Amino acid sequence: MAISPNNLEPQNARETKAPAAAKLKSLPVRRNQVDSAGKIETGADLTEHLNLEIKNKYEKDRKLGEGTYATVFLGHLKKDPKSEVAIKKIKVMQEYKDGISVSAIREIKFLQELSHPNIIAMHDVYSSKNQNLCLVLEFLPLGDLEMLIRDSEGIRYGTADIKAWMAMLGRGVWWCHENFVLHRDIKPNNLLIAANGEIKLADFGLARSFADPYNRMTWNVITRWYRPPELLYRARHYGGAVDVWSVGCVFAELILRVPYLAGTSDVDQLDKICQAIGSPTEQNWPGVSELQDYVKSESIRPLQKKESFLGLFGTVGEGGVDLLMSTLILDPRRRVTAKQFLQHRWWTSEPRPTKTENLPRKGGVSAREKVGEDLKRRGGELDNDKGADKVARKLDFGNRSKQAV
Amino acid sequence: MNEDDIYRTSTQFRFWTYTAKALTDLRASSNSLAASRVRDAIKRSREQGSKSETSTNNAVPEVDCLTVEEEQKLVGWYCTKAMEFCDFSEFPKAVKATAVQFLKRFYLSTSPMTYHPKQMMLSAIYLATKVENFYIGIAEFAKMIPKTTADDILAPEFLLTQGLRFTFDVRHPYRSLEGGIMELHEMSRGSYIPPHGSSFTTEDVRVGILKVKSHRGKPATMTPDECAERIKRAHNKAGDILTKGALLTDAYFLYTPSQIWMSALLAADKPLAEFYLHIILSGTPNGSVSEPSSLELRLLSLLEQCAGLMTRSSSRGPDETETMELKRIDKKLYHCRNPEKIDLVGMNKAVKEGSNGDKVDEEKVVKKRKIERDRAAKEEQDLFGAPLKK
Ligand SMILES: Nc1ncnc2c1ncn2[C@@H]1O[C@H](COP(=O)(O)OP(=O)(O)O)[C@@H](O)[C@H]1O
Ligand SMILES: [Mg+2]
Repeated sequence: MAISPNNLEPQNARETKAPAAAKLKSLPVRRNQVDSAGKIETGADLTEHLNLEIKNKYEKDRKLGEGTYATVFLGHLKKDPKSEVAIKKIKVMQEYKDGISVSAIREIKFLQELSHPNIIAMHDVYSSKNQNLCLVLEFLPLGDLEMLIRDSEGIRYGTADIKAWMAMLGRGVWWCHENFVLHRDIKPNNLLIAANGEIKLADFGLARSFADPYNRMTWNVITRWYRPPELLYRARHYGGAVDVWSVGCVFAELILRVPYLAGTSDVDQLDKICQAIGSPTEQNWPGVSELQDYVKSESIRPLQKKESFLGLFGTVGEGGVDLLMSTLILDPRRRVTAKQFLQHRWWTSEPRPTKTENLPRKGGVSAREKVGEDLKRRGGELDNDKGADKVARKLDFGNRSKQAV
Repeated sequence: MNEDDIYRTSTQFRFWTYTAKALTDLRASSNSLAASRVRDAIKRSREQGSKSETSTNNAVPEVDCLTVEEEQKLVGWYCTKAMEFCDFSEFPKAVKATAVQFLKRFYLSTSPMTYHPKQMMLSAIYLATKVENFYIGIAEFAKMIPKTTADDILAPEFLLTQGLRFTFDVRHPYRSLEGGIMELHEMSRGSYIPPHGSSFTTEDVRVGILKVKSHRGKPATMTPDECAERIKRAHNKAGDILTKGALLTDAYFLYTPSQIWMSALLAADKPLAEFYLHIILSGTPNGSVSEPSSLELRLLSLLEQCAGLMTRSSSRGPDETETMELKRIDKKLYHCRNPEKIDLVGMNKAVKEGSNGDKVDEEKVVKKRKIERDRAAKEEQDLFGAPLKK
């Protein structure tokens, strides 16, 4: 509980971090202000002024890509031309009548709150002249996990690499859940890769808070192949377990290099789950028959035994298979939590996860060459990494501190 | 990383928590900045007027601007209006509470002389429905309000989000209050597990809570049922404070959500709250003795302050003299509004029309996919049926 009186003691940090207050002191009351473009703004008020100041910190360079609701640009800090940021400009849609879109609001809301090495960092938000929202994100130049998985010609990777990627994914998801945020769209395509090889959970357009268990939620989330059975049965109350299922699907896909449960419709998706894992029944999932769209299937497929999973996924070892199976438990209440996921014995067993800078990367070379600069910046962490080889340590949850794996 | 640390990473703490002094200073600066803008703008419009009409108004009086107190009264009044609207429309508590905090946050750096709270209020409520998973189409929302178009509601939205500095997450004390009340019930039923390091046992706590002094300080021995009743009364009263006083005062700017709900409990039933605090702090050094520790005393005095703030008269609706006063302020505002910022719908159009950069067909595809996405969000609260039209 955040009740400590220390939260209230005037801290220098806070006085300066309440930028509006600090800013006001230095803001002369001018009649006109000239912004960088030389355009004269008549009587910009405080918030407009703050906004302009943020906007003027950055320079856009070139277009990087186009998403469903945004255009993404490469940019840099004006005061540091070597810096790199991604500027995600949310499109204003003339036909969209409900004001700022819910996806944009969600993405901004959660990225403002979540700060973790495995969640894409948002440095700033500002609005352009034409009221476009611009999110200044950390630049993640190495594409996404989907690209790596699909490039089976160009990129080879093994268990140690999968372990490193999955640990990073697990930590990012754990941090979301620790903050009562469900991501609700975890898939390889939304896992972006930083210059140093780190995995970053991105795209929070479907995220929501699940602090209040009484709220009914929509089942219509998560891309089908990664959607857990409770959502396919249209459950209205659910929790972190939905993301954990998706994590399991990503894990399986990393091993197989093709999507594990690629249903062609919602019905087919359930069918694929029954085939691969087993049919949900009251025995293996008490209460399932009360879910809205539950239909008792004609032919009940028994739960698949560990042997059959070992056959498919055995390359990651018995421990890895055990962990994978625990993410793909039909009953969401018995599925592992993100925290338990990170506490699994697999992480500390051989092989050790690949060091981030040695992970395979787009173009087929490891990130090592490029990483020299990063290492310098990260100072002390280098020594920790060296230690990790000798001593099998427990997985660090990585909340804004060092990376132990 | 404990809950305190997590809270410190929130935007509510980083951007929207102030010392009392910083808060006063900020409001004073915002007021004086806005006042000088208003005077300039009114002068400009008079100059233009005299050019075209070539006559009259030589000796124009200096504009009489709102004071900080007047601004706060006015904003406070529109906050109560927003709450009434949300109650009437049966919006969830979180929508109401978030909308009010949006207004309060917005008017820390903006003056009602620049943007009238009447214009901002509906926009704040609408934004809160989107933020708190109670998304309603704008057409439907506008229908609920007489003489209001979708444009009226959406035009200020952008200014609002800018004033909020693009932080949308508001942390409320409701869930923690429920948690605390649950713990109190466990204490009285003998199923509460004291914090790690405490020397109290479950049984100590059970016996202790039944002996908590009454309101007036009279010693008491309650039966478990009487105790449960008492907890329930305290729960209701504290809940009431959280949906009124906590929202309308500066509590959110000055205290953490946990401090706020505990203060509400303190205001509702002081001996019970003190007992609770003593128990939950009993795992901290020096916590497990009969006398309160120094941390506990410091915390108690802080909670007293917060409780005092939330139960002060300013947290209730206005009485007759206050209503008169509000009318006076509103009239005064009529003469000191910034004339360049009144037509928000027009301003908004002008900006939007200047922004036809994107290619058309590209837009269509994008739109389709996004609308699909937003439909999922919308569907989330269609579940509540459509109780919104009245
Ligand atoms: N932080 C980033 N760093 C580098 N490229 C990015 C970044 N974010 C997005 N991109 C590029 O822009 C494209 C679209 O971004 P995305 O976030 O997927 O938008 P949307 O949420 O609308 O789908 C991505 O496929 C990627 O190529
Ligand atoms: Mg995307």
